[in-house]
Amino acid sequence: MNPLSEHLNDKLECQHSHSWSYEEPVDWLQSDSSASEEDAEVESLVALARRLQAAPPLQVDPIFAQHLEKQVLLHNAALHRRRSTSARGWLSARPLKIHPVFGKAFCCCLLVLLLGTSLLAVAQASAPGTPLYGFKRWEQHVQVSLFGSPYDRAEQQLQSAQDQLSSLAALPTIASTEAYLHALTGLEQQISDAVLTINALPPGSDRDRLSSELATLETQARHTLREMLPRLAVPERLLTTNILSRLGDVVPRLKSVELTSLRHPNGQIIISLTGEDLQPAAHLLLNGQPVEANGLLQNGVFVFKVNWVGNQLPQGVGILNPDGTAAQTTAIQQQILASNGSSRGTNPNNGSGHGNGSSSGSGHTNGSGHGNNGNSSGSGHGRSRPGSIPILQDKLGKPKDGRK
Amino acid sequence: MFFRRRTRLSAPPDQGDQSPVFSQLLDRACDGESEALSMLYRQFLTGVFGYIAIRVPDRATAEDLTSEVFLRMVEGIHQLRARDEAGFAAWVLQIARIIVADYYRRRERQPVCLSLEPEGWEEQESNLLPATHPDTDPVRLAEARDEWRTVVDAINTLTEEQRQVLIGRLILGYDVATVAQMVGKNANAVKALQFRALQSLQRRLGRKTLPEHALPTHVRNQGGTR
Repeated sequence: MNPLSEHLNDKLECQHSHSWSYEEPVDWLQSDSSASEEDAEVESLVALARRLQAAPPLQVDPIFAQHLEKQVLLHNAALHRRRSTSARGWLSARPLKIHPVFGKAFCCCLLVLLLGTSLLAVAQASAPGTPLYGFKRWEQHVQVSLFGSPYDRAEQQLQSAQDQLSSLAALPTIASTEAYLHALTGLEQQISDAVLTINALPPGSDRDRLSSELATLETQARHTLREMLPRLAVPERLLTTNILSRLGDVVPRLKSVELTSLRHPNGQIIISLTGEDLQPAAHLLLNGQPVEANGLLQNGVFVFKVNWVGNQLPQGVGILNPDGTAAQTTAIQQQILASNGSSRGTNPNNGSGHGNGSSSGSGHTNGSGHGNNGNSSGSGHGRSRPGSIPILQDKLGKPKDGRK
Repeated sequence: MFFRRRTRLSAPPDQGDQSPVFSQLLDRACDGESEALSMLYRQFLTGVFGYIAIRVPDRATAEDLTSEVFLRMVEGIHQLRARDEAGFAAWVLQIARIIVADYYRRRERQPVCLSLEPEGWEEQESNLLPATHPDTDPVRLAEARDEWRTVVDAINTLTEEQRQVLIGRLILGYDVATVAQMVGKNANAVKALQFRALQSLQRRLGRKTLPEHALPTHVRNQGGTR
């Protein structure tokens, strides 16, 4: 750094300290004559600075100063009045002064609100099985509960059911059995809620209109579910068939199943299924798996002859119609024939109350339907012998566990 | 003098840091409190007037422009972001710089008018006061005015930073650190700017160029040309 500038600064500081201590008026006309020759340049600059400081043209006229102060204060008062007037009609032009804590809390609330809104918007487009789908369901539930009028509530329930059906139909693949079952039961629940709400409405044009909308939705749901059947594995088909039944569709129902086997462990078994809407080209389901067996439908009774290996007889017997609908039951009457022709009847599952057969025609087999699926799935994995009976994987388009 | 020059540079060391006080003063002024505005006005009038007076050739213009600066200060203070004294000083001097620049722009556009009548103040002063009074001698007044015009011309050749440093150090009486904060430079740069500014003025003015007599403050020098 230039030492002259440092020196000059030091000199100026000394001059100022001196003038402060003694309060001497600076004579700007006279330069300091005590400077030595070495720092003559610095001294002359200091003198110039002092002359500039004290130059009369730079001194403020007191009369002007007082006059201007009044002018400034008047101008301020006028501005203040104008701002106050405009602030009464509208928010003040000045930003509101908020305590920092409240400001932060306000920012946090705003952030949460923003995130919540974004989450709701994203959840609207979420598919069944995704993490946001539950959030969407909750939002729909809250929306429904917020409506005070039963008409509005019914409208909202129908709308939610429609959304649910759309998202179910939009599933490109059945990625998860659980997600599909969840969405399907959700749809069924929403339609049931809408039915209850509409049935509770007083007769009138609004109720008729809502009933009509409900009927349209049910028809649409039946159509959609039937279109989905070929893409489903057997357990999903069983549940979908159950839902279709509750939506008033024509689906197979098993009234009774009779199983006749020889005492020989590696003999044949004859399975007779009695029920409604059994189609001639239907396949037999044993323990939830379609098996290749010759069957004959006569007078509403389907009789299959199956080669069976092992002592443990099938626990679940069902039917798979060519249109994709399926029914299964665990209420099986068993009859074992001895080699000499005598027979002994057993019915291990009789009286359990499970199975489509025991509840056919009632239309209220939701609980038993779930039970059947559970039974058939469990027994199919744990008790059947995969090598003993040919499984119809190719005809179903996929193996039992080979979901797309 | 009516307003005592604020000499932070020469203030006793026991005064301590006054920035929180100044911040509160600024907050009150932003809220439109008259007393706070008065205090700010009194504190910065000398600096603002000095900055303008060394840029324009006559006192009347300097006073007009100073009035304009303070009125704009009142209008814009509620939008001010600066919260310390140096920031506020920089803001006010920025307003002054813009107003002076506008003044010279307007002057360039105006045609030069030469009056055929004798200048009013010369005639009036010569009639009212005795000719022997040093403050009223028209010859001396004219000489002083011309000499000050030379000073103004010399100041106008400085850079804006050099002018701001001179105002901050010599008129406002700030220390080097505060001026450095005001102009956005470090302390050494401020010292160098101060040295070069005075050196440049010295070269242009010499020792005897500054007016030897004070212009009487009651005299309004009208229509000084640059």
